[in-house]
Amino acid sequence: MLHVQGLRKAYGEVTALSGVDLDVAPGEIVAMLGPNGAGKTTLVSIVAGLRRADAGSVEVDGLDALARTADVRARIGFAPQDTGVYPVVSVRRNLKLFGELAGLDRRTLRVRIDEVADALDMTDLLDRMAGSLSGGQKRRLHTALALLHRPRLLLLDEATTGADVETRNRILDLVRRMAADGSAVLYSTHYLAEVETLGSRVAVLDHGRIIAGGRVSDLVESYAVPVVELVFTGEVPASLVREGATVEGSRLRLPSREPARTLLEVLPQIDPAALSSMEIVHPSLEAVYLALTGRRYDEADRAGSKETADVVAP
Amino acid sequence: MSWRRSSAILRHEFRVMLSDPSTAIFVIVMPVLMVALMKELFADVLVSEGFSGANGSEFAVPGMAVSFAAFSVGYAGFSFFRDHGWATWDRLRASPATSADLMVGKVLPTVCLTTLQLGVLFLLGGPLFGLHITGSVAALTVLIVVLALSLSAFGILVTALARTMNQLNAIGSVGGMAMAMMGGSFVPVASMPGWAQALAPAMPTYWAMRGFRSVILEGGGLGDVVLPVVVMAGFGALFTALAAMKFRVEDSKVYWG
Repeated sequence: MLHVQGLRKAYGEVTALSGVDLDVAPGEIVAMLGPNGAGKTTLVSIVAGLRRADAGSVEVDGLDALARTADVRARIGFAPQDTGVYPVVSVRRNLKLFGELAGLDRRTLRVRIDEVADALDMTDLLDRMAGSLSGGQKRRLHTALALLHRPRLLLLDEATTGADVETRNRILDLVRRMAADGSAVLYSTHYLAEVETLGSRVAVLDHGRIIAGGRVSDLVESYAVPVVELVFTGEVPASLVREGATVEGSRLRLPSREPARTLLEVLPQIDPAALSSMEIVHPSLEAVYLALTGRRYDEADRAGSKETADVVAP
Repeated sequence: MSWRRSSAILRHEFRVMLSDPSTAIFVIVMPVLMVALMKELFADVLVSEGFSGANGSEFAVPGMAVSFAAFSVGYAGFSFFRDHGWATWDRLRASPATSADLMVGKVLPTVCLTTLQLGVLFLLGGPLFGLHITGSVAALTVLIVVLALSLSAFGILVTALARTMNQLNAIGSVGGMAMAMMGGSFVPVASMPGWAQALAPAMPTYWAMRGFRSVILEGGGLGDVVLPVVVMAGFGALFTALAAMKFRVEDSKVYWG
């Protein structure tokens, strides 16, 4: 359903995408995982026809998405990262507008509004002004606007950002249902746990490149080796740096298939006063990310947030 | 372009407009008050020009109607900036609505509001201020509609040029006020300095006032307003062409700031 090849995009000096290849089949959910600033929003925006790519191709349902934007838009449902609803009209009016723009006839629109409202627990909210909804309720409406017309390709950019637990679960449930009904779903997120919950295929995006892809379990098996992480109060003692180890400031990471044994081996060599903290990072998507990039995911996310704030996209 | 999609946006825009009708009420009520305050000022001028039965409303009504319509040109752009502020612009762009659907759906409500604003003042002019229209009502209607289209096109040009809401307000207000004053809707062109009289025909408002004068005071019909209508339509086409060159749906706009 979605075929992306060699996609490149730069904002001035800053490269957002540097040759991304990605496929999403009908009925499949692909979670695009990456820290802030990894290029997720740029990729989703190009597929949705909101930004122009510098190079590469995007096909949706066999159509060239960069050339036949209007035809492609009829096939996609898109929920951008920022919550976008009309606060001065009712929830129902918001849904009606986007349903009508998607070409739903009056009867189908009425049925779909009821179905989606039921699925997202919004039935009682339909006649409320969107501006009077809570943040989580607005997020549900925001997502509902994208999937009301049963798009063949659903693009959700950080759909659950800022959402409460109930909203998150409802949205994830509905995403799974849409996929089960045959929609292809590209789900961008920076929550590792969410990807593990979805159980979907994952594409890990870092600095504008997809650095790994596949099922979470396969990735963990292929890439993730447990890591012993030691943080020192000063410099990392050179005697502890062994093959495969990475040093980042005062942080030493020692990949090991037997992390407890490794920890016991190195501890006697360390002056307790010089050690600030120690941790065994077990195999998980977090460990996959660490193995692939040499950085912990939350550090990359914070760095990405800063980078993103520094870059003003045109 | 799809009329179905444009009309969905248009109906939605009307709902949004009605959710806070204060601006619409302001631009309709204020000119009525202004006419009440100012019409006496113009009675002598019109009598001296040979319109012996004139009471001043013959200039004050079209003058204030045109002035307030010109002041409100920024309203056309407001709906675009508002969508950026509500983060709904990208949603609309990602929908099957084309740029043309969006333009028609968003600009037509402003054309309707301006037409209503002008029409209400002319309708109330008779009962409230003793305005007597000596010419063709059809000609008056054509003038009103073409002026509304022309000013809305100017509003879209201002929207295309402005990046922030403040710029929209500033350019729209200054541009609208200049257009109203220079076009002779505040004071008759004949009373303006020579240099201003020479510049007046460069304003669509001048041609609107000329057309209204012909219909209200000189008993003009459709044939008498052809030139003003054609020139105003030309201005509208020029503003639209410039706006089309400058307007980029992907440009980001700052709602406030």
